[in-house]
Amino acid sequence: MKKLNIFVFIAALLFGLTATAEAQITEKPEYGKFAITGATIHTVTNGTIEGGIILIDGEKIVQVGQNAKITPDYKQIDATGKHVYPGFIDSWTALGLVEVSAVAVTVDNRELGQFNPHMFAFTAFNPHSASVPVTRVSGVTTVLSHPSSGTIAGKAAVMDLWGYSPDSMAVKKSGALVMSLPSSGGGGWWDNRSEKEIKEQYERQIKAINDFIDKAHFYNQMMNAYEANSSGKTKPDFDPRMDAMREVLSGDVPIVISVNREKAILDAIEWIKSHENMNFVFEGVQEGWRVADEIAEAGIPVLTTTLYTPGRDYDNYKRPYENPGLMAEAGVKVAIVSNDTENSRNAPFEAGYAAAYGLGKEEAIKALTINPAEIFGVDHIIGSLEAGKQANLFISDGDPLEPMTNIEHVFIKGFKIPMTSRHTQLYDEFLNRDAVNE
Amino acid sequence: MKKLIILFVFVAFGFTAEAQEKGSVLIQNATVISITDGDLEDTDVLIRDGVIQEIGKDLRAPRGVETVDATGKYLMPGIIDAHSHLNGVDINEGRNVVTAEVTMEESVDPNDVGIYHALAGGATTIHLMHGSANVIGGQGETLKLRYGVSQEGMKFEDAPRTIKFALGENPTRVHGQGNGVQPRTRMGVEQVIRGHFDEALDYKRKREAYLSAKEQYDRRGRGTPPVPVAENLRFEVLNDIIEGEILVHCHSYRSDEILMLMRVFNDYGVENYTFQHANEAFKVAPELAKNGAHTSVFSDWWAYKFEVYYSTAYNASILNANGVINSINSDNNQLLRTLNHEASKVVRYGNTTVNDALKMITLHPAIQLGIDDRVGSIEEGKDGDVVVWSGHPFSIYSKAEMTFVDGKKYFDLENDPDDMRIQINPGTDFEDGSNYREIVSSRDEDACMQDAFILFQN
Amino acid sequence: MRKHILLLALLFSGFSLQAIQAQTTPAHALKNITIHNADGSVTESATIVWRDGVIEAVGKNVTIPFDAFEIDGGDSLHVYPGFIDGFSTWGSPEPPRNLPELDNPGDPPYDRAGIQPERKPSVLLTEDKTFEAGMKAGFTSAALYPNGYMLPGQVEVFYLAPATESIGLLKENLALAGSFEPAPGGWGNGAYPSTMMGVMAQFRQVMFDATALQQHMKYYAQNPEMPAPKRDQVLEALFPLVNKTTPLYFEVDTKEHIERLLKLQDEFGFSAVVVSGKEAYAKSAELKRRNIPVLASIDFTEAPDWYTKMNKAEESDKEDEEESSEEMEEISEEEQSYRDKRIEAWKAEVTNIKKLMDAGVSVGYASAGLELKDLSKKLEILLDEGGLTESDAVKLMTSNTASILGLGNTLGTLTKGKNASFTVFDKAMSEDKAKVLHSISNGTIHEFEGN
Repeated sequence: MKKLNIFVFIAALLFGLTATAEAQITEKPEYGKFAITGATIHTVTNGTIEGGIILIDGEKIVQVGQNAKITPDYKQIDATGKHVYPGFIDSWTALGLVEVSAVAVTVDNRELGQFNPHMFAFTAFNPHSASVPVTRVSGVTTVLSHPSSGTIAGKAAVMDLWGYSPDSMAVKKSGALVMSLPSSGGGGWWDNRSEKEIKEQYERQIKAINDFIDKAHFYNQMMNAYEANSSGKTKPDFDPRMDAMREVLSGDVPIVISVNREKAILDAIEWIKSHENMNFVFEGVQEGWRVADEIAEAGIPVLTTTLYTPGRDYDNYKRPYENPGLMAEAGVKVAIVSNDTENSRNAPFEAGYAAAYGLGKEEAIKALTINPAEIFGVDHIIGSLEAGKQANLFISDGDPLEPMTNIEHVFIKGFKIPMTSRHTQLYDEFLNRDAVNE
Repeated sequence: MKKLIILFVFVAFGFTAEAQEKGSVLIQNATVISITDGDLEDTDVLIRDGVIQEIGKDLRAPRGVETVDATGKYLMPGIIDAHSHLNGVDINEGRNVVTAEVTMEESVDPNDVGIYHALAGGATTIHLMHGSANVIGGQGETLKLRYGVSQEGMKFEDAPRTIKFALGENPTRVHGQGNGVQPRTRMGVEQVIRGHFDEALDYKRKREAYLSAKEQYDRRGRGTPPVPVAENLRFEVLNDIIEGEILVHCHSYRSDEILMLMRVFNDYGVENYTFQHANEAFKVAPELAKNGAHTSVFSDWWAYKFEVYYSTAYNASILNANGVINSINSDNNQLLRTLNHEASKVVRYGNTTVNDALKMITLHPAIQLGIDDRVGSIEEGKDGDVVVWSGHPFSIYSKAEMTFVDGKKYFDLENDPDDMRIQINPGTDFEDGSNYREIVSSRDEDACMQDAFILFQN
Repeated sequence: MRKHILLLALLFSGFSLQAIQAQTTPAHALKNITIHNADGSVTESATIVWRDGVIEAVGKNVTIPFDAFEIDGGDSLHVYPGFIDGFSTWGSPEPPRNLPELDNPGDPPYDRAGIQPERKPSVLLTEDKTFEAGMKAGFTSAALYPNGYMLPGQVEVFYLAPATESIGLLKENLALAGSFEPAPGGWGNGAYPSTMMGVMAQFRQVMFDATALQQHMKYYAQNPEMPAPKRDQVLEALFPLVNKTTPLYFEVDTKEHIERLLKLQDEFGFSAVVVSGKEAYAKSAELKRRNIPVLASIDFTEAPDWYTKMNKAEESDKEDEEESSEEMEEISEEEQSYRDKRIEAWKAEVTNIKKLMDAGVSVGYASAGLELKDLSKKLEILLDEGGLTESDAVKLMTSNTASILGLGNTLGTLTKGKNASFTVFDKAMSEDKAKVLHSISNGTIHEFEGN
């Protein structure tokens, strides 16, 4: 019975995707040399330039400044009265990995098993997901797409939202390792376990994680020794899981841990102390404001949102909105994300609420650009408007955190992308539908 | 003096309903977003005993009436959410395909602190709905967010009755897949509605025949008495729907099922209905306009189920451009408190004007709930349900500063204590998990399916 | 004299008196006891005489009839009127688990919906150790109903005895029991109604169905030529409720639930009794106006740890001032404000009964799920923080409950002409470790060995 359902769904999906032309974007991007003139340029790292010029040549930004010599081979885009921002980075989403969350066969972010550091989101990322164009036309040009299952779900990838293959879209294949830590606090009123049960389960789970990491350390040392000087040594067997951990143990690839409640955050900070060489990032952090100082002291950056309801009956209604600002004030590096898939494009609005409730607009923009870039080690490529960086940017007619602002042009990797998506195509087709069926 | 006498009489007769607290306030010098008469700058609004008495410039405050200096601020009608499950004790009576006899009127929790959170977001009225597990669900209840009163006190007085219908994946999953009971397909959904309507009409005939025969027999005392036909609550409600006494709100997505319901309603003469969610409504906008059907949609949710895979955030704009009365709803406790933001996105996605988008969270939901004679705009004679905003409500930086319901202030940003619980559980510790609320994020869809047992979990 | 001393010795050695009394003792007299009356008065060196289950004489200086078997209390025994539990499921069969799957959960048979008003405890009574435990806690009578859901069955009053077969039916058809419990079966196997609003709708529907059946039966009785009604024991059990001749004992706690019950009362006009009623004080004016009594629960939430500690510290303040102030931990303003609100709510809960009494509502006692082992703990809270005196508490559990059950002429006080149901304690009830030695229920003496 279930098998039949799967077939039916696949058939429906394929039929849907192939039968309607609306699923395909047929316009081509533009590529080459562009000069964007007259705009207010928000570089993020070097202040704001009024009436400035940006020169793009191929993949890269070649110049950002007040004055620039524009040769005739540059196509000019007059952006007087407009604004240019670095393309936004949504650093926590399942975009590309999940197509329709209620249809199991289209969900590719949850592999079986508890310890899967070798599962790469990069592999399963669907460049032709209907959600990709929908997202990029809103100015979110890059995402960190992540798996989610078990204790170690796999490696999240930093992906640009333009390209025909994951290979061409990847900014960093190993963006982060995704891990979940248990909490020694109860789960809420629905949690039926006794205190003893909670403690025992917690200790068992933590031990399993510690054991796994210990084994990974051993494998790493063993392989390092072998690679340094293989003479006289038998080559150890290759273990893909352990191998995937090597870049994490060295701190090159950060580990993202999802924690929300106060107790869970403190437990995580405590646990992290015994794993000094690795780099950690917290995701969610809904009660981060309660322990902002502790998070800042531990030097852990956070990925968070704002649009959710308060977590405790006695929390003030605006705590979720104030959370990023309060953490930033304490010295925490904050990135703001969508934590969504098909609505990754709403990450700027999560940031807008944070801006309105204490974070401030400037920090909010950073939370969508340079902060996530730095957290995931891609800030030499993206995250700000600087000569030499990749041309990921957009031109808007106003503040991009404001919903009524229009995003007019988007560049990803130097490609000036068609501003079409399934949503705009359906609008074009149905705004003035001709045939009226009786 | 007159008022005192009336009150005395009510008490003497044992009138049990609560006297609604009505307030008076003079809000001065705001940019008044009237909705029906444009934006009025530097304008005052005087509310007396819960009703907007006067709108004008340089009004004088009557003795004893508090004044609010709203210079530089905006005044907007309280936001109306046409689709909410905010404070329902239960949401879905999901054990039968048709449960028209149950009503959310009897499932209201007046003590949920989420009510205060919604007030803080500028909302003043919600349509508390039954869930979408059943083809014909329970009746809804329109409530004003009067935080701190009884369940009876929250009711929007004299609001028309409403009822929930649901088409598509939800009822076919719960009943067809879950219980092996029709409907399992969209074909079945249509027949469930038709079949029950026909049964209801048959019941009506038989029941009326019985009642008149009984009356005759009891009077005359001779002849053969009629076999009693028991009053059937479910069929009574279904007949009320057919006779136009209940506004139908139908959870639906696909354009073909939207057309199906219009066809069925045309056959039975049902005229007043609103399609809820209706992600594909834009595909049949002309038909909707022709039938006078309304729509109440999300601003930009899509792709989370297959039936919304082919939808667009431009839905609201297309509907509006084709003359369909459309509103933006939340169906989610977080979106409820940022509905101003949700509606602002309609301006981005399409050619909708700011005022038309504002209508979608004020006048249009009021029309869809049949309460537009009382709320939905700032006009003399309407209820004093207004919100003072720090800036234009469509700016993401704007905050609701004061929320008035019936002229009484229920939320004030300057005086906003953290702990706003009214119902305190004496058994829970501060650090206890029992104080944790279920966190609803802006992307948690299908609050509509709460309490419904689904066998097939995807 | 010697005869009496011998019997006294037997008394204290724990011999059962059953064999001795039998048919050879027409009456009994218990003398030299302290009687705690329901009205609060205490009579010392008193005597109580009873015959055939009825109190013949009670008080000081009572002449003991020649045919009464004397028991000397030695001026150390304390007698209270037997407590009455106004609403309990003692002796009820357990509701079945592992229910079979239903083909159509939307239209289940009555029992699967929890609609079982036809069930009588007198018919279903099963062995239950709680009877003895109840008597050891001072109860001699109880209003019992079968364990169930929205309409679990009928309420009947019984004289208690340790063995089920000896339990005596005192009053049948007292009332129908009701609650807002949805149909059993839980998540996987439930049925309609599965929500409270479903219960309300279904309640109305069965009342309508019962009304129609009753009408049909009336017509048919006069007109046998018409089609015969389909008899239905479930619907027929609801006729007294439809006809408003029997009250509905409804278990509700919150203010909102009580309001919903009142709504049904407005629609159907039956008389009602609120059982448990933990938040009933919030509706006291309305309850008084409608003459709705409350059989109140004393199953209070436990006081917070820090509150108990604080009280203990205050008590021993004189001794260890330093130590107690050290124990006061530092807490945030947020937590302090939380604690303040919590204690306020807790105090409101434990003073529920007092507030109801002050408002003039008729208040009695029901265990409503309270386990007997917790009874003394809860009574302590009631007396310490609930604003009730010991005699208030005794009155609550005796004469108040008796009058709510309509048995004020039979039970509840130790007065001539009333039923002989009372409990013999070895000390005053309020004293530490007071034990029940004997329980006299409907005149029968039950003795308890070494509590």
